[in-house]
Parts: sequence; structure tokens; C-alpha cells
Amino acid sequence: MAEQLDACFPVEISDKDVFQAMKDISGYLDITPSDFKEVYLKAYDHAVRRIMTAVRVVDVMTRDVVFVRDSDFLKDVAELMAKRRVSGVPVLDAQDQVVGVISERNFFREMAGGSAKNFMEVIANCLHGRVCMAAPARRMIAREIMSSPALTVMETTPVVEAADLFTTNSVNRAPVVDAEGRLIGIVTRADIVRSNRWSAP
Amino acid sequence: MKYFSKMRGTGGSPPRVSLTEAILSGVISFLAMALLAYIHYTFLAGTDALLLIAPFGASAVLIYGAPKSPLAQPRNVIGGHILAAFIGVTAYQLLSGELWLAASVAVSLSISLMHLTKTLHPPAGATALFSVIGGPAVHKLGFLFILMPVAVGAALLTLIGVLLNNAAPKRKYPEFWL
Repeated sequence: MAEQLDACFPVEISDKDVFQAMKDISGYLDITPSDFKEVYLKAYDHAVRRIMTAVRVVDVMTRDVVFVRDSDFLKDVAELMAKRRVSGVPVLDAQDQVVGVISERNFFREMAGGSAKNFMEVIANCLHGRVCMAAPARRMIAREIMSSPALTVMETTPVVEAADLFTTNSVNRAPVVDAEGRLIGIVTRADIVRSNRWSAP
Repeated sequence: MKYFSKMRGTGGSPPRVSLTEAILSGVISFLAMALLAYIHYTFLAGTDALLLIAPFGASAVLIYGAPKSPLAQPRNVIGGHILAAFIGVTAYQLLSGELWLAASVAVSLSISLMHLTKTLHPPAGATALFSVIGGPAVHKLGFLFILMPVAVGAALLTLIGVLLNNAAPKRKYPEFWL
């Protein structure tokens, strides 16, 4: 959190700036420049924190969420993801509980024999004639390759916390669930980047 | 090491105020002190009553020299002086046998209580001390000292601050009342 606050700190205010500002205000200010700077920086921190926590997942999430069942065949999952142009989907069990997430990455891993870290490695493996589209995958179901348990967030989670979650866990999306664990939306890195509420708090 | 390095101080001193500001502070404080001193030396002459006590000189520095200061606000000026006078007079009455203790308790207790009541006003520390060391003229007044000169004087200084500071285009007083 602290590093992030530093990272988005726009202006490094100098002692000279503070001194100059104090000169601009007529009358004697009963505060030393260094105290003023400390107050200013702390106030800035609070403002950033306030603005950051003011934007919550509910404000940026996608409600129309594409999902699959844990018993769906991979070929159907892939087809759905292709048709709906999404790179990851939540996986629900028969009780509508979010039990995992399947993303392109899970497919890469599976089809490249579990070793590939990215798409190009799959291509490379394929071109080298090593492991390419394992035939067994055709009969596999979502539950077998999904990342589980799913990293989920609530509607009320601050966006900054969701962003933290993405970074720490190297994921790109998190299903949004209600108190009963039922799916109500999904929030992706793209949702957070797109959200104009950052620039105009 | 940290202990000693803290003694070096960091950062620079605040800027000097403009010449206008310096003159303004001088003129307003002159008028304020003149009023108190005039009443003290004419109307109160020959009576036991006092109005001019040294701590008011310090209050004048804040109210007319640094009217924006949290320490110079009415709550602090009036509240601080009255609180400190009460503690000072009480300390003298209870501890007059040990004047060194009465003097130190008066000041230290005033500071702590002013902190807790958000009425910190440095000149009031002088009021607390003066209640103990002010001599027969002060001691004779007993608890009346709190009302006159302290409460009346503090109220007058504040009133003059409100009337005269605000007459200057770039000044505003107080920042807050309570």
C-alpha cells in the first residue's frame, strides 16, 4: 500500500516550495516549513487513500459475466470463450458456487504438457513437434484444469485491494461474489484500467 | 546517536513577514495595550483592582502578531488564561508553605490541562506562575484574580483582536471561536 501511494505521488514538494508558499500567504504563520511539509504529505496520503477506497469493485465490474460449469467439456469451454471473446471465465459447481477460474493460461499449461508459461512457448513446443494438443484434453472437463479455489472479491472491495490481489497472485481477473458465494460479476485488470473514476474522483 | 542528531534541527526558519504586517502588528498591539494600561493606571488607580499584568504582553504577541496561530484563538486566549489563573491561585493557596512547589505545579498542571481542554495558550503559563509569585497585590485578590484582571483582560484583548485585526484587509480573526 505504502509503495503504491508513493508511486502515484505526483509532485515532490520541496522545502523551497513550502517556504515560498508561506511567503505568498500574508501574515505570520505559526508553523515551521518542515512541519507544514509533514502535514501536507500526510494529508495527501489520506486523500489518496480516501479516493482509492472510494472506488469499489461494484463501480467497475462487468455484470454480464460469461461462466462455465465444472462439469463442462474443455472443448465447450474453449468454444464459449472464443465466441464471447473472453480470456477467462469463472467455474461454477451444481450449487452455483464459484469453485474456480479457467483462463487461457490453464489451457496453455494443459496443451503444452503442463510446462508452458505463455502462449509463445506453446507455439514453440508445437513447432518443435514436442507436445502439441494432447488428445486426452478433448475428453477433459473444466474441473480438471481450472485454477482452484477461485480468488474472489466482494462488491464492496475497494478497487485498490482488487488490484493488489491481481498483482500478488499474478492473475488477471477475479469473480465477484455475494455473501453466499454466488456469482454476480467479474472484475478484470482491464476494468480497472478503463475505469475513468480514477482520473475524475 | 539519534538523540544527538535530533539536536541539530532540520529545515530552515519560516520566512520574514512583510513590512506592512510588521507595522500592523505594532499598531494594533499598541492600541490594545494602551487601552488596558490606560484603564489600569487611571480608573483603577488607588483601588486593589488590576488589569495590566505581564502575561497579557505575551498574549498580545500572539493575538496581534500571529492571529492565525491556533494558540492565539479566543478559545485558547480566554480559556487558557482562566484555567491557568484558577490553577495558579489554587496552587498558591494550598502550597504557600512550599513556594517552589506551588510555582512549578501551577505551571506544569496548567500546561497539561490546557492540552486536554484544547486551550493551550503560552502566555497563560505566565499567568499561572504570576498567580504564585505576583506578590501581595495579587495574593490579596484571592480567587477574584481569575475574574479581574485575568478573565476581563483576556476578553478585552480578544475583543480588540476581533475589532482591529479584521479592519486590516488581509487579516482575519479569529480562525475559530470554539
